[in-house]
Amino acid sequence: MRGLALASLALLGGRIGLAATYWVILGGLGGDADYEQRFAAWVREAEKICRGSAGDVQVVALSGGRATATGIRALFGELSRRVRPEDAFVLLLIGHGSFDGYQYKFNLPGPDLTAEDLAALLSPITAERQLVVNTTSASGASIEPLRKPGRIVITATKSGLEKNATVFARYFIEALRDPAADADKNETLTALEAFRYAGQKTARFYESQRRLATEHPLLEDTGRGQGVRLPDPAGGSGRLAASFALLRLGQAQEAARDPARRALLARKERLEQEIDLLKYRKAAMDAAEYRKQLTALLIELARVNEELEK
Amino acid sequence: MTAAALLLALAQPFAGAGPAADCLALRHRGENIQADHCFLRLASAAEPWARAEGLWGLRRYREANEEFRRAVAERPRDPDRKVRWGRLLLERFNPGEAAELFQEALRVNPRHAAALVGLALVAANGFEQKAVELARRALEADPACVEARVLLARMALEDGDQERARAEAAAALELWGEALDAMAVLAAAEWIADREPGVWLERALRVNPRYGRIYAVGARFLVLNRRYADAVQLYRKALELDPALSDVRSELGINLMRLGRDEEARRQLERAYDEGHRDAPTVNALRLLDGANNFVLEKQGLLELKLHRKEAAVLGPYVRAEATRALTALQSKYRVRLEQPVRIELYPDHEDFAVRTLGMPGLGALGVTFERAVAMDSPSARKPGSFHWAATLWHELNHVVVLTRVNNRAPRWFVEGLAVWEESQASPEWGERLTPEILTAIREKKLLPAADLDRGFVRPSYPGQIVVSYYQAGKLCEFISREWGFEALLRMLDAFAARRSTSEAIREALGITGDEVDRRFLAWLEQSLRVPLEAFPTWRERMKRLAEAARAGRHEEIIREGPAVRDLYPEYTEAGSAYELLAAAHLAVGDKGAARAELERYARAGGRDPAWLRQLGELEREAGRTAEALAALRRWLYVDPMNEEVHRRLGDLLLEQGQAEEAMREYRAVLALGPTDLAAAHYALARACRAAGRIEEAKEQVLAALEAAPGYRPAQKLLLELNR
Repeated sequence: MRGLALASLALLGGRIGLAATYWVILGGLGGDADYEQRFAAWVREAEKICRGSAGDVQVVALSGGRATATGIRALFGELSRRVRPEDAFVLLLIGHGSFDGYQYKFNLPGPDLTAEDLAALLSPITAERQLVVNTTSASGASIEPLRKPGRIVITATKSGLEKNATVFARYFIEALRDPAADADKNETLTALEAFRYAGQKTARFYESQRRLATEHPLLEDTGRGQGVRLPDPAGGSGRLAASFALLRLGQAQEAARDPARRALLARKERLEQEIDLLKYRKAAMDAAEYRKQLTALLIELARVNEELEK
Repeated sequence: MTAAALLLALAQPFAGAGPAADCLALRHRGENIQADHCFLRLASAAEPWARAEGLWGLRRYREANEEFRRAVAERPRDPDRKVRWGRLLLERFNPGEAAELFQEALRVNPRHAAALVGLALVAANGFEQKAVELARRALEADPACVEARVLLARMALEDGDQERARAEAAAALELWGEALDAMAVLAAAEWIADREPGVWLERALRVNPRYGRIYAVGARFLVLNRRYADAVQLYRKALELDPALSDVRSELGINLMRLGRDEEARRQLERAYDEGHRDAPTVNALRLLDGANNFVLEKQGLLELKLHRKEAAVLGPYVRAEATRALTALQSKYRVRLEQPVRIELYPDHEDFAVRTLGMPGLGALGVTFERAVAMDSPSARKPGSFHWAATLWHELNHVVVLTRVNNRAPRWFVEGLAVWEESQASPEWGERLTPEILTAIREKKLLPAADLDRGFVRPSYPGQIVVSYYQAGKLCEFISREWGFEALLRMLDAFAARRSTSEAIREALGITGDEVDRRFLAWLEQSLRVPLEAFPTWRERMKRLAEAARAGRHEEIIREGPAVRDLYPEYTEAGSAYELLAAAHLAVGDKGAARAELERYARAGGRDPAWLRQLGELEREAGRTAEALAALRRWLYVDPMNEEVHRRLGDLLLEQGQAEEAMREYRAVLALGPTDLAAAHYALARACRAAGRIEEAKEQVLAALEAAPGYRPAQKLLLELNR
């Protein structure tokens, strides 16, 4: 098993000097052929999307017979030596989870991993920005053991009592490839954007099928909460998730490396900040004045972008 | 005759009520104060049965129930006690346990007439055919059973058989000249026939001057005949005579709600509730009215749309446009001019619609018309693809127009038949589907003669008969139109308006007998469906093999065998149809042209699976067949309008075609649905506005797009363009 995990690590590829994003994608036990196939396909798809994204992205994906507790422990042991504090770390769990009233378990071939086991595996990972996306059934029960300051925890269900197989994983992966998920169109998909996209699609799935929703996704990024359905960065929840870049979708980051364009980029950044500030003041402003100022700032920002594109 | 002897004679019909016979006789005469004293005496009697009857008479139902429990425990082999307890439970909204008690009584005495009547009442309240048989068995057991005769009269009138209803009621009166319920049925028959039932009113009120129920029974029959406003008038008269009839007050409230008079409905229902009438319809209706704030009412011209807040912005424009199209066409066709507003209510929760309609959940219908008020499921109440909202809307609006023309006087089968037929006139892809269930009924010769067709709607004798009856009625109208022209249908309507029966209307409008129409219709129907009727068993076998081939991925076999299987029963477009298997096989082997052609056939045959309609739209677009792509997307829209994607795709295609105003409507729907990608939705609308020359609106929308996503490059470019 150790050999398998190390073979997976070999896929990580060479490191570059800038901060990297590590993705660990684990596909659990399906229980029957249909779920085995579905989970493996989702793992493959997520892996493919991550590998194709811009920036320094390191991906390890394990599913089926390879995703055992022993193999996963070995993988995390290796990762704890490689991942640095400035890196970002994402753990995506796909499969079935269970909850016996006391403990959440991620179902694997052989012994399962409890939420406490997962927390212990994550503990030596030094990345200051961490995201755990647990898309399994009963995943809501994993929030408490997994949460900690600096870590975002996303779950498919609101508690351990929502035990039916989930569809959240499908939409979370869809968020990684659908440009529509990048709500602010800044060519960076944040954890918050992906959560909102997948949450909305999951809710619509149950509505359109006229089925009672058996999963209610939560996001916890304060390190002390129970998770919320509708995070609001202005109110505290979702603030960390809003700044966690999951994927870089375009060439925006390349521009940052061109010294000739840095002045324009600085201006762009300033304008974006001014727009954000203006939006925060909107409720207290006269509507016509708000519109006038917003138009002026947006036109200026559009011109700066035009310059950057030249 | 002495007073005591008179009372004894009078109490005979109530003998089954044991100790309560005398008290019930007083109440029968409207001597309510004396009756209450009588019940009061019983309530303090030593015998539990007497106490139970006394408490029941005093409307202390819970205590009465407890006393009945004791009375039955005391004499467990006494069927009379069980039957009376059952009747209490039946009156107090517990038909299930009531039926159990009647069954227990029948186990003691299988020929217990009152127990058989009890079971018949339970079945009759559910419009079950077995009610007739049970009532007949009661009469066999006791030929003097007045209640069984009255029940048979009531059910005959429900079936529209006035002659039989009058005969049964008359027989009941022969048995007992004071049978008020029989007089009520006879009075109802007169009201249905648009005659004043003076003689029956006079006779009944002579027996009991406060017998308000005679009006209430008439009102119930008018409701069954879709004459809700007339029914409301009778309910009011019933309450004028006897304001204590809280069940009647509840019915008045429910019928006011059906007509859209929600405020008064609430007042009446609340009063009935406060008086202790807390059956499920009353409680459900009050709950529904409590949720009125969730709906918005939009009035424009002849239309009043009542839509749920969360979907009014999405559905409003489509429903209004389709309703306007339908009403314009149908008013012209049926030569009717609607003077009063037509109200259309859409319920996203099917059970709310059911409560709005019946006061109870569990209704199978998609839409119901109450004179000029239409209530129906919203598309979001059903799984996408399972409900064609526009076809249902046309169906219901056809009722509004037709019922206005005949002043609500036409048999159910004809009104439904016209509506089903008009669906297929609006589009050949709409209308009642020829399901395997219907094919089987035709093969097994289960269709009813036209004169009896109402029975198939009101009191089905086999599962699925209602659906079969809808189909038959629609086809019969189609047949009449083909053979005698549309004018013949109008002549039939006029005959019905003049209170002719179905046989008479056929004779007057078509010049032949009802039997002759039935014979010719069946011959025509069997000829037009000859292929599926003959090939149905073969089709089933071959479809199984085709499905197996699909599961095994044997695409070539499907492509080879599929067309012949499909053509054995081309009307079958449900899940797993030959069309779908063929389209999937063509796609699997990469033949998009053949898949497209197959899906076009599927859509023309009425196929409605959103995924396949989406696929068809995509294939048409890829093939550069824009008009066909638009048609496919519009079909998708009719079965899945709450889907953001269909509006977006339709908007994009319309914009490409320069139909900017129509594209704007689609993009507005995307925005109203709360899109995942808000910025892109505003941007799309901005583009459509610009194309339509609405520059200020375009600026608004592009600003909204950039407010959500300041770095959105396409929107930034448009902003610069618009502000140059």
